[in-house]
Amino acid sequence: MIFCILSCSKSQLDKANTDPTKANGADFDPNGLLASAQINYANTGYYQLVYHSTMMQVLASTYYYYNNGDKYINVANFTDYQGAIFTQSYGETSAIRQMQTLCRQRDSTRYNNLIGIGDIMFVLIMQRITDMYGDCPYSQADMAQQGVKYPAYDRQQDIYNRMLIDLDYAVTRLDPSQPKPSADLFYNGDIIKWKKLAYSLMLRIAMRLTKVDPATAQIWAEKAAAGGTFAGISDNAIVQTDASNSKSQNAISVALRTLTDYEQVRWSKTLIDFLRKTHDPRLSVIGEIPSSGLKNNGNESLSGNPDSSLQRGMPNGYDLLGGATDISKSPGYPGGTGTGADLAPLGKYSRPRTSIYLKLGGPIFILTYAETELLLAEAAVRGWNAGGSAQEHYVNGVTGALQSLNQQDSQTFISQNDINNYLNANPLDMSSQNNALQMINTQYWVATGTNFNFIENWFNWRRSGYPLLTPVIYPGNVTNGTIPRRMIYLSTEILTNPDNYKAAVARLPGGDALTSRVWWDIDK
Amino acid sequence: MKLICTLIIVIILFSSGRVFAQTKVSLNYKNARFEQVLTDIEKQTVYRFIYRSGGLPSQPVNIHVRNEEALPVLRNILKGTSYAYYMVSSTLIAISSAGDSTRKVQLQGIITDENNEPLQGASINIKNTGKGIESDARGRFSITCSPDEVIRISSIGFVPQEITVNSTNADINIQLQPEIKGLDEVIVTALNIKKADRKVGYSISTISGGEFTKARESNMAMSLEGRIAGLNVSGVNGGPASSARLLLRGATSMNAGSPLIVLNGIPIDNSQRGVATEYGGADYGDGLANINPDDIDAITVLKGSAASALYGARAANGVILITTKTGKKNVNALVEYNVNLSYDHAINSTDFQYEYGQGSQNMRPQTVAGAIASGLLSWGERLDGAQTIQFDRNYYPYSAVKNNIEMFYRNAPALTNTISISGGNNKTTFRASASNVYDESIVPNNYMDRKTFNLNTSYNINNHLELNFNGNYIYEKAENRSYLSDGPMNVNYGISFLATSARQSSLKPGYDPGTGDESQWNSNVYISNPYFVVNKQVNNSSRSRFITSTVLKYKFSDNVYLQGRLGYDISTDGLLNVLPTGTAFTANQQGGLNALSKAQTSELNSDLLFSARKSLLQKLILDFSAGGNFRKRQYNSSSTSGNQFIIPYLYTPSNLVSTESTYSVSEIINQSAYYSADFDFNHLVNLTATGRYDVFSTLPANNRGIFVPGISGSFLFSDLIHLPALSSGKFRASYAKTSGEPVQPYTTQLYFTSNNTVNGVPLGSFSAELPNYNLKPFTLTEFETGLNLNFFKDRLVFDITYFNRITHNEITQAQQSIATGFTSAYVNVGKTKNTGVEFLLSGIPVQTKNFAWKADINFSQIHNILLSIDGSSQYLLTGRYRPLNANTALVAGKSITQIMAYDYKKDASGNIVIGSDGVPERGDLKAMGGTLPTHYGGITNTFRYKRFDLSFLIDYKFGNKVLSGTEDYSYLYGLNKATLPGRETGIVAKGVNESGQPNTVSVPAYNYYPALATNISALSVLDGGFIKFRQLRLGYTFSPLFMPRIFQSVAVDIVGRNLFTILKFTKNIDPESEFSPDLTYAGIEGESLPATRTLGLNINLKFK
Repeated sequence: MIFCILSCSKSQLDKANTDPTKANGADFDPNGLLASAQINYANTGYYQLVYHSTMMQVLASTYYYYNNGDKYINVANFTDYQGAIFTQSYGETSAIRQMQTLCRQRDSTRYNNLIGIGDIMFVLIMQRITDMYGDCPYSQADMAQQGVKYPAYDRQQDIYNRMLIDLDYAVTRLDPSQPKPSADLFYNGDIIKWKKLAYSLMLRIAMRLTKVDPATAQIWAEKAAAGGTFAGISDNAIVQTDASNSKSQNAISVALRTLTDYEQVRWSKTLIDFLRKTHDPRLSVIGEIPSSGLKNNGNESLSGNPDSSLQRGMPNGYDLLGGATDISKSPGYPGGTGTGADLAPLGKYSRPRTSIYLKLGGPIFILTYAETELLLAEAAVRGWNAGGSAQEHYVNGVTGALQSLNQQDSQTFISQNDINNYLNANPLDMSSQNNALQMINTQYWVATGTNFNFIENWFNWRRSGYPLLTPVIYPGNVTNGTIPRRMIYLSTEILTNPDNYKAAVARLPGGDALTSRVWWDIDK
Repeated sequence: MKLICTLIIVIILFSSGRVFAQTKVSLNYKNARFEQVLTDIEKQTVYRFIYRSGGLPSQPVNIHVRNEEALPVLRNILKGTSYAYYMVSSTLIAISSAGDSTRKVQLQGIITDENNEPLQGASINIKNTGKGIESDARGRFSITCSPDEVIRISSIGFVPQEITVNSTNADINIQLQPEIKGLDEVIVTALNIKKADRKVGYSISTISGGEFTKARESNMAMSLEGRIAGLNVSGVNGGPASSARLLLRGATSMNAGSPLIVLNGIPIDNSQRGVATEYGGADYGDGLANINPDDIDAITVLKGSAASALYGARAANGVILITTKTGKKNVNALVEYNVNLSYDHAINSTDFQYEYGQGSQNMRPQTVAGAIASGLLSWGERLDGAQTIQFDRNYYPYSAVKNNIEMFYRNAPALTNTISISGGNNKTTFRASASNVYDESIVPNNYMDRKTFNLNTSYNINNHLELNFNGNYIYEKAENRSYLSDGPMNVNYGISFLATSARQSSLKPGYDPGTGDESQWNSNVYISNPYFVVNKQVNNSSRSRFITSTVLKYKFSDNVYLQGRLGYDISTDGLLNVLPTGTAFTANQQGGLNALSKAQTSELNSDLLFSARKSLLQKLILDFSAGGNFRKRQYNSSSTSGNQFIIPYLYTPSNLVSTESTYSVSEIINQSAYYSADFDFNHLVNLTATGRYDVFSTLPANNRGIFVPGISGSFLFSDLIHLPALSSGKFRASYAKTSGEPVQPYTTQLYFTSNNTVNGVPLGSFSAELPNYNLKPFTLTEFETGLNLNFFKDRLVFDITYFNRITHNEITQAQQSIATGFTSAYVNVGKTKNTGVEFLLSGIPVQTKNFAWKADINFSQIHNILLSIDGSSQYLLTGRYRPLNANTALVAGKSITQIMAYDYKKDASGNIVIGSDGVPERGDLKAMGGTLPTHYGGITNTFRYKRFDLSFLIDYKFGNKVLSGTEDYSYLYGLNKATLPGRETGIVAKGVNESGQPNTVSVPAYNYYPALATNISALSVLDGGFIKFRQLRLGYTFSPLFMPRIFQSVAVDIVGRNLFTILKFTKNIDPESEFSPDLTYAGIEGESLPATRTLGLNINLKFK
């Protein structure tokens, strides 16, 4: 009873109900939340592998899990994978909004740049959500603390308008003379680079509207070009992951280092054939043929042969089941390596080079100079004021893409001479607008694909229609043999936000399906 | 604190009063017979007399006294006669002729049962001498003893009697009464306050300890299944000592859990140490599983909130009181040894198809790669016995393999040895025991080893002060508790779904002998090779736990006491959970460390209780108790995890490529004060009023305290209306309120952490659970009424209870849309209503000298409804099953919890709508039924024939649905018999397409059925009702004359548990199979261990 008498005071009970292992808002540095949102935004891991990498025929796989994207059939945790970006992204926007709240509670002036960067991050994340699913909460997102329990799904058109306006406001707010953010994984607090990122993002948002609303696209693309987008690959927004920390390792590398993934994920025939056809110098750096035999195929310490003449892509849409769709029945199947029990049926196909793409602390590309310049090239092709000619931007874009491989890993250095030769052999075809757009957007596909940014790769394909991909026809596919055009909403929304979810689905032509099209993705 | 002051005043008030027992008499007689006077004294006082027939003074009595102590009066009237009185006990007085107390007495007599049939084999012992004999076939005995010695007469199944020898009782007839729960039996209630059953105004059930020792379960909670009206027990199929879910009277709230477990008056920790979810994990057991059944004397279940009002919030789900065995005063030391050996055997509950074999796309494997890709797929060709390649590179006949479960799981022995010694002298009692349980799982690499030590002592320091100490030390370790539910490291997944023509032996040894890497055998690397797991897994957990309770009781008088209690329960849990080197799904097959952790949980309870009894009026007695409680619960844990062991098989954190560590702490404090006032009017009507004030540290300062009252009453109407057959009849009613707090601390403000870095840059984070600054305690109100009738001298007992409870302002962690920025929020919203009837019938239809039959029937019917979640929500998501296309949820207007699954989509005329791919389309997500049974109960029959006794228990549950992962996967993998139609022809599903035309699209079976089960998760919603033959026990008790110098008693029992299922509706699973004890996962099935049948032998030896 002595315990009782001694500890009955209110303050002691308050203390008992205070978690000693955590900080309260007053003691916590909001900067850490920026880094948190950045690494989470970057590290999409398996989700983009099982769907977007193979859907876009950048990678190909016979492995069961990849059937979701490689063959458009529902397998394994497809419900989770489809909803993952929804879950993950709103977690990131929540961190951003919380960061801004803490900044305002402390000192809006001192944290002015961090608040502005927060707005840019918010738009960056939101664009991924809306491009992935369509209508989604924006104006009422992350307002639980304000009492919003059932956030309304905004129409994508409204979200696009809001994103552009919010970005425009955010960029004007940034001030290099004010304190910099201290935990910035993109630019280590460089405000000038953040401004360029904001305009580059504005350009990407604007260009996403080319199908549905070219007029608006032009206004904002020109505004972005005038504001100043990325000027070189040193402006690329990249997150360097950390091999020594299991929570901040490169999740794509971790996934691809799983035995079955390692043995059965290859570069797609579509990509490798394109690189070979254009004598692309990237062919000699991105791929390798594994050492012979199944055991060696699974040995991650044995590097393969990167000789460009040997590289061969694997066709999408095949399996190892021994039936009609077995990889051995594919046209031009080169045979496996090894014999008997050690037969590696995929042994002659190129895999992403382990030493470059599978580093546990490898980089993750967020938004690059190459992408921006290629979008500007397209804007110029469309006759808009992109601050330079289409050819100039195209050259910059391709150069940036080839140079960025050096940021992927220092081994993947491509000399300026090789770049020049490649550009001279493949000048921008201005004979028609379509030809130019095809060439630019195919380069966008190669650039984002070889940077392992498969989500953006897919978004731009849906917008531009390039490259022209032949869908895989595999029995049991759930898309009538077409490449998916959106992801299905997070499955729990039907219970946790039922009315708003149902209203959004009702607005979607075709319903909440992989084949439905979001607002900007009109069929033309 | 005010409470303390109030308490002190009350103590002073009571202790300054006089002695309250009825010991005074008023007599007024002239020339009365002695017997007449004694009868009057008996009427007025607590004293009772015994004397030999005709053994009373013959002189007439003349007396006139008013309100005087009876004993001096008695001495007075015996003065001058040749008789004297002896106090046999504090209230029992023997009267006999004096003067010959020194000589030896030849005591003889006949022992009979309640029907006056002679009892053979009853023991007659002279206490404290070791001398004893047995009654003969005519119930007769003869023994030489000295006056004042105490003789104890006992026989199994009867209440023992003691008599004090004096010169006058040389020839006695003793009638033993059978052990049956009469209303005058004293039972333990809340706070360990003992009360006569007749005074209890609410429903209580008691089970004696013997029920747990002979037919053992490694988690003793499982032994309660089917035995107690109102108690619903379900266990996790997770190997030895897995967790159990105990729900009393249904789900009282949205996050209802187990009742509060109270050991010898002190609440103990019963938290789970890790449970499986839809994404896998092992079950590491709960707190109750640590208790050694051999130490249990009795278990009392307090069901309603009137019964548990004195425990406050933690008792909102009821209370289970465990009383451990104690020594007896003034007996020779008793040494007891018990050994129990049992074997668990896996039951195959599946009824899969065995017409088509392993393969995909209607083709058997052609290559090793094809065999690997189809290891889990039974979409092959019709079985023909032809030699076919397998994933282990050998050829086997392509024929049905039906014994994979029987062959993979072992017959697992469990051996328990317990030794105890107990005894006492006139001041102290003690009982000490030591026990070892070695319990193997049917999964070959998994076992649990538990050692328990128990000491229970009492010491009368002086006539007023008594000290009790109870200590339990438990050390438990388990290796490789099986993973459940999901595929990674879960042996059960692979074995359950192995293709119909694949042999489990082809999976051996599970790894490449050269490299140690896991062997591939199916297309999904996250479904582990069962033999790799068996041979390589490291998942070792240990717990050391010390539970003590110390009670100091000061008796001011026989009727007033003050008691202080201190209980401390501290446990340290260690875990080393490794993904071994070679695990296929780990990066570079280098394995990983899931956890190397240490956690400490402690629960401190100290309370002070004042109790007094006082006669307010001649026929009105007040029992009053008041007290205060301080509770502090603390938990801390630290854990390291990481990826990729650098040196193979060296499982240390420093040998990892990357690591991560976590540290967490929690603390909860409750302060409470309570009182109970019990008014007993003429032994006829009893009224109890209780009140409790709680202060919860987990709530915001302005909402921390709450007072909750309760009242209960009983009416012993049989004392007014005397019916010949009715031996007693009691009506009871109660109304009570309980309050509660959040389960978790730290929910009232938002916290931030920085627990990770990227290349040195700190990563900030905060909880995704939205805090609530305005939480207040929830309340639960309950009305209960019941009737208890005992007929034919208690040979037939009938008890019925009706209850109605409503929970208000429930605190729950409600899932919400992540788009709000938080995945869940602590809210104070819900309202739940539970009504139900509990029924108990117990009787002894036959009772003769050699044969007796006793039957107990209990059943419960629960109606549960979630009245509201909050103003606007209709659903709250709870758990999911692994296929992820259905879940459980709280649904307003329905019972807790509901299975939500997708049904067929139908057009206006009720036709099933078929998609353009030929597969039925998914309709609405609908509530498909509750996961908790609405009707459950059990029937126990016990037969005794001479020294044999046979008992069996049949129990049942009905009214619940199961969401079965196995069922979904059986469609996916082509195992379900329902996947047979159309195997070779394809399926044209019956229904119409979107435009209303009959469907004509033909789909191959191997595409159709997986897509069907994926779209229509209603196919996996099954009826979970069952009737099971739960237990059969045959016992033999040796004659007390068997080696009488060595043994006091010898008993042998053969036991079978879970022998067979009499009725079930699920084709491919055991309807009770679950992987988590959380209410969230109630009714969710999937890839846990198979159900087991247990056969065992128990030998109990009590030494002289």
